[in-house]
Amino acid sequence: MYQALLTRKYLTRKIMPMLAMVAVMLSVATILVTWSVMGGFLKTLIESGRTLVGDVAIVWPNVGFGYYDELMEDLEADPMIAAATPSIETFGLIQLPDDRIELVSIKGVDPSSYSAVTGFGDTLWWKPIDGPTPKDHDGEDLRLQDENQDLMERVYNNGLRMMRENPATGIDEPAGVLGVEVTGLNYRTPWGGYEPWIGNRARPDGGIDRVELFMPNNGTVGLTVLSLDSNGRPVDPKTITMPIANEFQSGIYEVDQQTIMVPLDVLQRMLRLDAAQRVELVRDDENPFAVEEDPVTGEIRPKMREEIGLDPARVTTVLVNGAEGYELEAVRTRVQEIYTEFASRHKGEVPSAFDMKRQVKTWEDLNRTMISAVKKETGLVLFIFGIVSFTTVFLVLAIFWSMASEKTKDIGILRALGASTPGIAWLWIRYGAAIGIVGSVLGTAMGYWIVSDINAIHDWIGRTTGLVIWDPQQYYFIEIPSDVDPQKALIVFVVGVLTCVLGALLPAWHSARMDPVKALRFE
Amino acid sequence: MGTEDRAQTETGGVATAAASILSVRDVHKTYKLGRVKVPVLHGVDIDVRPGEWVTILGASGSGKSTLLHLMGGLDRPDKNEGQRASIKFEGTELTKQSKRALDRYRADDVGFVFQFYHLLPELSVVQNVCIGAMILHGRIGYMRQRQGTIERATKLLERFGLGHRLKHRPMELSGGERQRVAIARALINDPKLLLADEPTGNLDLKTGQSILDTMIEYRERAGLTMVMVTHDERIAERADRVIRLVDGRVEGVPDSSIMGSEHPPA
Repeated sequence: MYQALLTRKYLTRKIMPMLAMVAVMLSVATILVTWSVMGGFLKTLIESGRTLVGDVAIVWPNVGFGYYDELMEDLEADPMIAAATPSIETFGLIQLPDDRIELVSIKGVDPSSYSAVTGFGDTLWWKPIDGPTPKDHDGEDLRLQDENQDLMERVYNNGLRMMRENPATGIDEPAGVLGVEVTGLNYRTPWGGYEPWIGNRARPDGGIDRVELFMPNNGTVGLTVLSLDSNGRPVDPKTITMPIANEFQSGIYEVDQQTIMVPLDVLQRMLRLDAAQRVELVRDDENPFAVEEDPVTGEIRPKMREEIGLDPARVTTVLVNGAEGYELEAVRTRVQEIYTEFASRHKGEVPSAFDMKRQVKTWEDLNRTMISAVKKETGLVLFIFGIVSFTTVFLVLAIFWSMASEKTKDIGILRALGASTPGIAWLWIRYGAAIGIVGSVLGTAMGYWIVSDINAIHDWIGRTTGLVIWDPQQYYFIEIPSDVDPQKALIVFVVGVLTCVLGALLPAWHSARMDPVKALRFE
Repeated sequence: MGTEDRAQTETGGVATAAASILSVRDVHKTYKLGRVKVPVLHGVDIDVRPGEWVTILGASGSGKSTLLHLMGGLDRPDKNEGQRASIKFEGTELTKQSKRALDRYRADDVGFVFQFYHLLPELSVVQNVCIGAMILHGRIGYMRQRQGTIERATKLLERFGLGHRLKHRPMELSGGERQRVAIARALINDPKLLLADEPTGNLDLKTGQSILDTMIEYRERAGLTMVMVTHDERIAERADRVIRLVDGRVEGVPDSSIMGSEHPPA
């Protein structure tokens, strides 16, 4: 009972416990803010990484596999699968409007089914928007301007269809969708949006042309790919000019800076993965003893005849979106089972189920390198902040040691009045816990408040001091993540309290062991 | 204490160990100051009878406060070979009691009054008085009798002339008032034995006399046993019996188990 009374009095009548509480509060708030922001950053990054991948992918790179329409039918017939889409991924060269040539990742997609499996439609940047983005306080976004609404509507539809009208013929032709950072011709605004490049170009006659290059309106790129045969040997390179229908922003800078999406059939043709007639030499069954000279080697061989077959179109990837309510791993397992059945129907024509076992990957597998890197960074930052915050233990210990020394006479008085040694120890542990609870409650509340309003606070600091830490012009996420996970908040709170109790243990033990006679004589 | 009892003491009457509430036998105490051993008590024998006021008179450093701490169970006597130190309270051997039992003894049976008051500065006057009851009864026990305890503390403080100071903190009181609060705190659990260590030593003569009057008045009314340590002969004169402690020994009594008063009663 006396512990409760003294704890309350010691807490409110002294400056030292107030300082300890402030230290605990700041530590708890710091950890919570760091964890929440880094966690939010990781979550946003992961969600972005998932945007263009779907849930599960069946991947057979380079040569790809055929009969994918049949596989997709099998997949979509299953209740665990919501949708599936074929895709091809390869590398190639892109020639940009300013004649630079860059290495890019080229994705061949079927726009309608790709939209059903992924968030492709949402990633298209040039589209009409209802209101300004969070940092666009003055409403400068081109997509908001009334005069641009028709253009935005048109290029958005073009992007969804991956088609663009040829102004010369008036006919829609296949068009690509570029990552918004590929060309380097979109100026990233301080509020985190984009404005197309406007510049001057010298004319041969000495004059200057004002050039306004809005890729979805009038931009084209040159694309070169090198197809490989089934042995991985390069076949002749193929180059096309591709108009641009729109640009996308996935949220992953690396993706947006080096990816172009093109219609699936275009890339199939370029890579010779489209359906084709195939000439096969088969043994002439009419006369099994007939022989002939091999025109290539000159050797004698059984007589052969030519047979015309059909090679089905191929893709390197089938992306799958799981139905609502199913675990990712369960969907992957089901996809593997469906592929096994499919492969058994096409023995020798598609990669076997055994070969494909490791090639059915979840979106997490596909982004593992990126996710694990960010997770490690988050862990490292937390570890460093944890170490810094662990100094709170020593801070509390130092404060308590000092207070226990200051209160030596009180301990002697209490012992003289009959207080037990565990009772005295409990007084200090309780005191530590009280400081921990008050400090952690305030720290958690402060952390919640900071994280919830972190963008407003950041803007205010920017306006007041000119210090902009999170610059949308440089960082890819326009806003600082501002969600607090209650579970994380609880963990930080509990650790905050335990830290204080830990810091109070040694002074508590010291006080409890104090000789009451010496304590009473303490000056 | 009745006149008959006092007369018995005055005439050097025998106080047998069996009749005593507190009995101290062959108590030695040595303190260590670094590597140096400083003997303080050299085989002290004392008996205190129920309701008696015994004053231990001695110069500074004579070991009187140490003796008081041993009687109150705050410290333990030396355990040397050939010595059979014993401190008995109502027949219970304190030297063999556990720490917990000694804590209980101090909380329940003993009240301490110190020269420098030793009040807890953060607590109000009434809280300082009640804290002894909080320690004795624990959380649940105290909550059950909280109201009664506060009423008793208030009555004690009113009786000591501090009824208007209940909410004040020790810093706001004079020395005499602080000592009255300390006495009220020592009495809150209605102890059987009051141990006072120079209770007037830090006060001026007039205030000291007033404090002493308060204690005597309460002791006589409640029949409380009191052992008071002092170096002041004038205070000692008012006690039932005076024991002189010189260099850690009881002076001038061959059989130190029986101490006679050297002074007429107050």
